[in-house]
Amino acid sequence: MFRPSPLTQKRLRRFRSIKRGWWSFIFLVFLYVLSLVAELLVHHRALVVKYEGQLHFPTYGAIIPGTEFGEKYAYETDYRALRDRFRTEAGGNWVLMPPVPYGPLENDLRDGLVHPLAPSWATGHWLGTDPTGRDVLARLFYGFRIVMTFALVFTVAVYVLATAIGCAMGYFGGGFDLIGQRVIEIWQNIPFLYIVIIAVTLVPADVAMSVRVGLLLLILVAFSWAGDSAFLRTATLKEKSRDYVAAVRLLGASPARIIFRHILPNTVATLVTFLPFTVAGAINSLTALDFLNFGLPRPMPSWGEMLEIGLGATHAWWIVTFTFLAITVVLLLVTFVGEAIREAFDPRRFTTYQ
Amino acid sequence: MSTPTTGTRPLRPAWLSWLLLAAGLCALAGCGAPTEKPLAYPKERVPLPEEAMEFFRSEPEFFAWSTPADIPSSLEWKNGDEVPEYGSPQAVKGGTFYYLIPDFPRTLRFVGPDANGAFRNYIFDNNTALLVGAHPDNPEHYFPSLAKEWAIGPDGRTVFFRLDPDATYSDGVPIRADDYLFCFYFMRSPHIVDPWYNDAYKTKISRITKYDDLTISITLPENKPDLLYRTSLVRPVPVHFYRDFAEDYVRHYQWHMEPTTGAYQVQPEGIEKGRGVTMTKVPNWWAANKKHFRYRYNPDRLNFRVVRDRDKVIALFKNGELDMYGATGIIPDVWYNKFSDAEPAVASGGIARSTFYNQVPRPSWGMSINSMMPVLNDRHVRQGLQFATNWDLVCEKVFRGDAQRMQTTSDGYVAVTFPDVKARPFDPVQAAAAFAQAGFTERGPDGIFRNAAGQRLSFTITTGYKRLAEGLTIIQQEARKAGVEYKLEILESTAAWKKIDEKKHEISFGAKNTSVELYPRYWETFHGANAFKPDGSVQTETNNETQTNDPHLNALITEYDRASTMPDIVRLAREIVASLHEDAAFIPAFTEPFFRTAYWRWVEWPEGFQGKTARAADEGMVFWIDTATRDTTRAALRQGQSFPVQNHIFDQFQSP
Repeated sequence: MFRPSPLTQKRLRRFRSIKRGWWSFIFLVFLYVLSLVAELLVHHRALVVKYEGQLHFPTYGAIIPGTEFGEKYAYETDYRALRDRFRTEAGGNWVLMPPVPYGPLENDLRDGLVHPLAPSWATGHWLGTDPTGRDVLARLFYGFRIVMTFALVFTVAVYVLATAIGCAMGYFGGGFDLIGQRVIEIWQNIPFLYIVIIAVTLVPADVAMSVRVGLLLLILVAFSWAGDSAFLRTATLKEKSRDYVAAVRLLGASPARIIFRHILPNTVATLVTFLPFTVAGAINSLTALDFLNFGLPRPMPSWGEMLEIGLGATHAWWIVTFTFLAITVVLLLVTFVGEAIREAFDPRRFTTYQ
Repeated sequence: MSTPTTGTRPLRPAWLSWLLLAAGLCALAGCGAPTEKPLAYPKERVPLPEEAMEFFRSEPEFFAWSTPADIPSSLEWKNGDEVPEYGSPQAVKGGTFYYLIPDFPRTLRFVGPDANGAFRNYIFDNNTALLVGAHPDNPEHYFPSLAKEWAIGPDGRTVFFRLDPDATYSDGVPIRADDYLFCFYFMRSPHIVDPWYNDAYKTKISRITKYDDLTISITLPENKPDLLYRTSLVRPVPVHFYRDFAEDYVRHYQWHMEPTTGAYQVQPEGIEKGRGVTMTKVPNWWAANKKHFRYRYNPDRLNFRVVRDRDKVIALFKNGELDMYGATGIIPDVWYNKFSDAEPAVASGGIARSTFYNQVPRPSWGMSINSMMPVLNDRHVRQGLQFATNWDLVCEKVFRGDAQRMQTTSDGYVAVTFPDVKARPFDPVQAAAAFAQAGFTERGPDGIFRNAAGQRLSFTITTGYKRLAEGLTIIQQEARKAGVEYKLEILESTAAWKKIDEKKHEISFGAKNTSVELYPRYWETFHGANAFKPDGSVQTETNNETQTNDPHLNALITEYDRASTMPDIVRLAREIVASLHEDAAFIPAFTEPFFRTAYWRWVEWPEGFQGKTARAADEGMVFWIDTATRDTTRAALRQGQSFPVQNHIFDQFQSP
């Protein structure tokens, strides 16, 4: 809607010159894009199956029953078993599995027991399994996709709400601002955790997963925009009293034009510096809620749930260790990006962020 | 795996006590701390209050006064002389037993709101004496307790009891016939706010007669093979203690333990607000030298510390601050991972482990299918689900073969067995055949069966048992192979209990606890009266979680409840179970043939560890604490010495 001002362009250039933040940003984006095609990298379905001269691509779409490949069962093909069968038969059929041939929901029952398997190259469980035999790497990777998507949608929603309400309060002021501020004060005093607990408890499990995740997102957003709107309000109040705003108003510009073309480009800096920390906050909140069992519905892969499981099974050190590592690395990367943005957008050119 | 027993109220969901515990935190804040002074009341026998007498006069059929001359002379009095002694003569008295409670008790009352919590076991069920006691090795053999002699009346449904004149409450007041009459006034009073007891003391007993201060008879409405057990549950309620019994009972007696007939009492100084409770031995306990009590209740003090977190409990136990872990059993995960031979405290021989095979009615772990829900109301779908649910795999892989598949709705009764009924195995082919009969013939793109109308075989399993989530995850994954989608709804136990009680679940998973009884109960769980009200609306808050309402079955259950001989009971029970198998609304899950316990080597046990029907290590309080061993063990371990590793298996009562 608006072109970045020359100042903003300069800031972006500065951001790119801060190497640690920039590379963290690139790496995060790379990881996220990779996780969007997680099914090609970490999945129990094969990438390609060549059977009786025909190629099958089972990764996406409907399940292919075992009977399709000459197995005796009508449920989804066990591609790892199929691969082993084809290898021994040597009939020209082959299966190409993803690098990690396990799905995030699949229980790999070995040794006649359900127990956590230690990390091993031989089994293909590079980071081991959890107590029900689910691959830790698969759950971490799919968990990353979910938590990042959640955090991004959360951030966009919070910013849209905070900007709209904060700007409106700052620009129009008067009674609207006064009442709005009081409503926010009341709103911020509602204990958010209780609302989440009540809502999660009340929603029946037969409601679709997506609706339940949506509801969680809605509640988190509803209780998060108020703080950010205060910054926007202040920034708008400040900009509004500047001469250039008075000038465009004298020229007859509409409030919409003034807000979007003149005020927002100048206040956006405030917003952007908070952005990575909002993302980190969302990751933290979701993980914490999952840990307390009030987050994502089971059995969705989730970091909080893995932490909880891992802490209950400390003899399987790899669960909690790798989950903790994953959370730490991602939060560290996000924080590096945040630091860099903050420094790039700092009006005092020569200070450094410590 | 096992759950604390909740006394004479079986058929309540076993996790009810956990739910009550969960509510405890809030209740604790509300009730205030137990800082009351000892209650003032006369320490002597007082006559029955006028309100009680009026109540008795209003039901002359139920409450009768008679004279010793009216006792039939033909009675054959028994005194249990032939029953082997309970406990071990080697037992050493004294010392303190350190154990934990998962939450601070919310009341010290035996009945009324919050009284059915886990601590009730220690102050009531496992502590007080009944009229007669069933010997744990042979529950058909009774030994004298509060009654020194008993006899079955000529009508076959009345038992005469001669009370032991020595028996007193912990305050020294002797126990007399009036206390048994007062029990009915008390238990049927609205003041106790406990409808289950109100009803039970009205319908399960039909008459009580006082002949003199030491002789009473109790009559059941029908002949029953376990007549003695049923009548022995009537307990004496001290008239003198309840001098001020009124509407404010719940509040007034909240933190005052009733004078007990048992070995231990809670004194006000033994209560440490929110942190723990110490029970002390009753001074000059009346039964201290009685044959079946003298080698039990050995420690002088029982110290219960509140520890909520499981890992913390284990850490404290391994540190020697608790004497025992898992009196009611240890789940396989913890047993194999935290009590393996490699654990230092186990390897040094400090901690001993025991596995004890018992013979008791098993808690009915299983999945109850709500048969009034759409799709699930089709018997073929339910039968298909039985084939689609792989509990055998869970028993084998999650429980490491320790648990066995439950076969019927009521396993573990010695006298009532079901040789012809076996739970259906996991079999996608048979499941598909059953689903096809219900019109579910096509697998959708997700592999789940659907019918012509596009309905999918997708159901939600509601449960409050988070600790069994691992097993359910396997069930869920396996069911997909059979074309069924199970969604898991693992709720906080209060929420799960509420949803299931309101019959809003599709499939519930859990267990109902059972008492050690001769034959199972079916009315509570499968009779139509507990599914629908006469006007056809849903009957909520009952244990009929399957909403089973089959006229044929209803008639069978009614007949079964009236049956008075064992052959009739067995025949009808088999018919009922066969009919329930066909109805397929209950998917049997697993049973455990034993319980496991870990304890420090200074806790000592009788030769065979426990009685045949014991469901917990501390049942009957037969163990004793060897304080000398405690000191030497601690000193030796500090110096790096070790003892032989102990891993005992007591399989003398293992069923073939």
